[in-house]
Amino acid sequence: MAEVHVIGQIIGATGFSEGSLFCKWGIHTGAAWKLLSGVREGQTQVDTPQTGDMAYWSHPIDLHFATKGLQGWPRLHLQVWSQDSFGRCQLAGYGFCHVPSSPGTHQLDCPTWRPLGSWREQLARAFVGGGPQLLHADTIYSGADRYRLHTAAGGTVHLGIGLLLRHFDRYGVEC
Amino acid sequence: MAEAVWSTDTGEAVYRSRDPVRNLRLRVHLQRITSSNFLHYQPAAQMGKDLIDLATFKPPQAASGHRPDEEEEEEVIIGWQEKLFSQFEVDLYQNESACQSPLDHQYRQEVLKLENSGGRKNRRIFTYTDSDRYTDLEEYCQKITTSAGEAPSFLVERMANVRRRRQDRRGVEGSKLKSRIITWEPSEDFIRNSHAINTPLQTMYIMADLGPYGKLGYKIHEHVLCVLKVDSNGVITVKPDFTGIKGPYRIETEGEKQEHTSAWKYTIDNVSSLAQPEEEEREQRVFKDLYGRHKEYLSSLVGTDFEMIAPGALRLFVNGEVVSARGYEHDNLYVHFFVELPATNWSSPSFQQLSGVTQTCVTRSLGMDKVAYFSFPFTFEAFFLHEDESDESLPEWPVLYCKVLSLDFWQRYRVEGYGAVVLPVTPGSHTLTASTWRPMELGLVAELRRFFIGGSLELEDPSYVRIPGTFKGERLSRFGFRTETTGTVTFRLHCLQQSRAFMESNSLRKQMRSVLDRLEGFSQQSSTHNVLEAFRRARRRMQEARESLPQDLVSPTGTLA
Repeated sequence: MAEVHVIGQIIGATGFSEGSLFCKWGIHTGAAWKLLSGVREGQTQVDTPQTGDMAYWSHPIDLHFATKGLQGWPRLHLQVWSQDSFGRCQLAGYGFCHVPSSPGTHQLDCPTWRPLGSWREQLARAFVGGGPQLLHADTIYSGADRYRLHTAAGGTVHLGIGLLLRHFDRYGVEC
Repeated sequence: MAEAVWSTDTGEAVYRSRDPVRNLRLRVHLQRITSSNFLHYQPAAQMGKDLIDLATFKPPQAASGHRPDEEEEEEVIIGWQEKLFSQFEVDLYQNESACQSPLDHQYRQEVLKLENSGGRKNRRIFTYTDSDRYTDLEEYCQKITTSAGEAPSFLVERMANVRRRRQDRRGVEGSKLKSRIITWEPSEDFIRNSHAINTPLQTMYIMADLGPYGKLGYKIHEHVLCVLKVDSNGVITVKPDFTGIKGPYRIETEGEKQEHTSAWKYTIDNVSSLAQPEEEEREQRVFKDLYGRHKEYLSSLVGTDFEMIAPGALRLFVNGEVVSARGYEHDNLYVHFFVELPATNWSSPSFQQLSGVTQTCVTRSLGMDKVAYFSFPFTFEAFFLHEDESDESLPEWPVLYCKVLSLDFWQRYRVEGYGAVVLPVTPGSHTLTASTWRPMELGLVAELRRFFIGGSLELEDPSYVRIPGTFKGERLSRFGFRTETTGTVTFRLHCLQQSRAFMESNSLRKQMRSVLDRLEGFSQQSSTHNVLEAFRRARRRMQEARESLPQDLVSPTGTLA
């Protein structure tokens, strides 16, 4: 088997109209992949930007995978939520990016989107919050049913990912 | 007069040991030096080592009945965290009302048992271990100058809470801290117990009761001989250092009268026993077995199997995302994209689809542009099989075509732009931007129709963006076709390539390295000549492989065989 080390952090997010953001993240892999160490999902703290609109999380990601094939390369899916002064949480955006496949450090900017409802639901969201959410989270990292969605563009999540690959050259894989 | 040489360097020394600290043994030798004794030695030196005179002076000292020898000199071997009670503690713990904490009761039991079994093995020398109250107070009330009125400042009080000692109650507090992350009103005890840095220390004090004869057991006469600190990484700090071959350390005390002023000298030696050679070998063997078993466990976790492809084929594996679309006229954008494989030599598995449609996205303003975010994932793989080796042309590479459309309230759609990008030839991460255009018709009527009713010209063949599929001939001309520049679509592609040729090229690289190693190792002339010939032959083969690499990238058997 070949091994992949994913070491990095979720730096922060910019461009959201809401303040007090936090991020739920998860990594999905195919059947040929095995997680040797690390936690494949988590949640950051709630951060309120003080200057500018960038919320900083600095949330660590440290994973060690072993794989039998290239199918099912790790995918990182994100959910950015905002929390208001009453403690209610509402969705700010869904994001997706593939874990890079070349060794080294990568600075990824992951744009997010959120589903839109009817004009009544949009009007209600502007005043009292809430709004539609995805029934199943796999729509974020799978493109199968994505065409049914009507979405609005959200902000951008910034990640720094370092990648270490091992034994791929033994099997003739150029990364 | 050699005894007059004192050791004045009382700085601390740092040692590192991988042995468990419980094997540490110290020997402390304490001896009083009085002024009268010193004066007695003086005439002996002047007389020039007259043995008879020295013998004459000795018996009157003993016969006078002054101060028995056991009060003047003491030697104790102390283990790590071994509790030796002082006279003060023996007197204190015999009184049951003085016991308050469980440690006090435990000490009381030990003191009573010790008194019944015949008393202590130590007289003046005693210890304070890590659990004693003295060790807590000493960290807090340490003085740094000779000023009698030195009062701790706010910084000293705050820094004292950053403790360097391991807490026995950490297990309980650890579980409690998990449930309540933030303590809003911490108490002083909570601050003192919780601010532990990541290298906790265990401390031990070796003390001496230097009170006058018959007046042991008073706190005022206690002096610190040695402070030992050990952390979990095996770093041992000794202050002052072991004497070894140096002179003894010196302590002077002040009494109420002149005759009670006395000086003491003491030595500290490390008398830890060394491990036997058989024990050391057994320990090394145990460590080697442990690490070997752990390595085998990791190897079994990882395994050795990996998917392989057919010889002579190149596998192109692409993980990609449609990141965003920017700079378009209308709102509610979506992207329809597909990958076109060249007709010759390329194939893909039948189960996967090479096209996709993103969601509809309402744009947002970013600077001067309007941006739609998609983050749409797609993954595909393709195989290149070069069967005809006589063909000298370079292989064509797959192309990613995209078509941007917009959807309005009445579900009418408009074509916003067409674009195409060639997939990257090199593996790695790539961010590609496709500039798009849309076909337009001359005249105001067409634009008014597009604006109000929707609909516009569309390409019948999307490959017209690059080279149409029906193109025959040598020159491609699109004169007469009119377009308008629109926005851009951003793709992010992570490419991987797999081939057996890459494995063989890696093996060849290793052979080259071994040739160079053999070249440096030989010193005989005839062998050097043979190695140079082999090196020249390998270099010529590498040059031939490099020249034919662009054409026979994926079929090395014809060239290398």
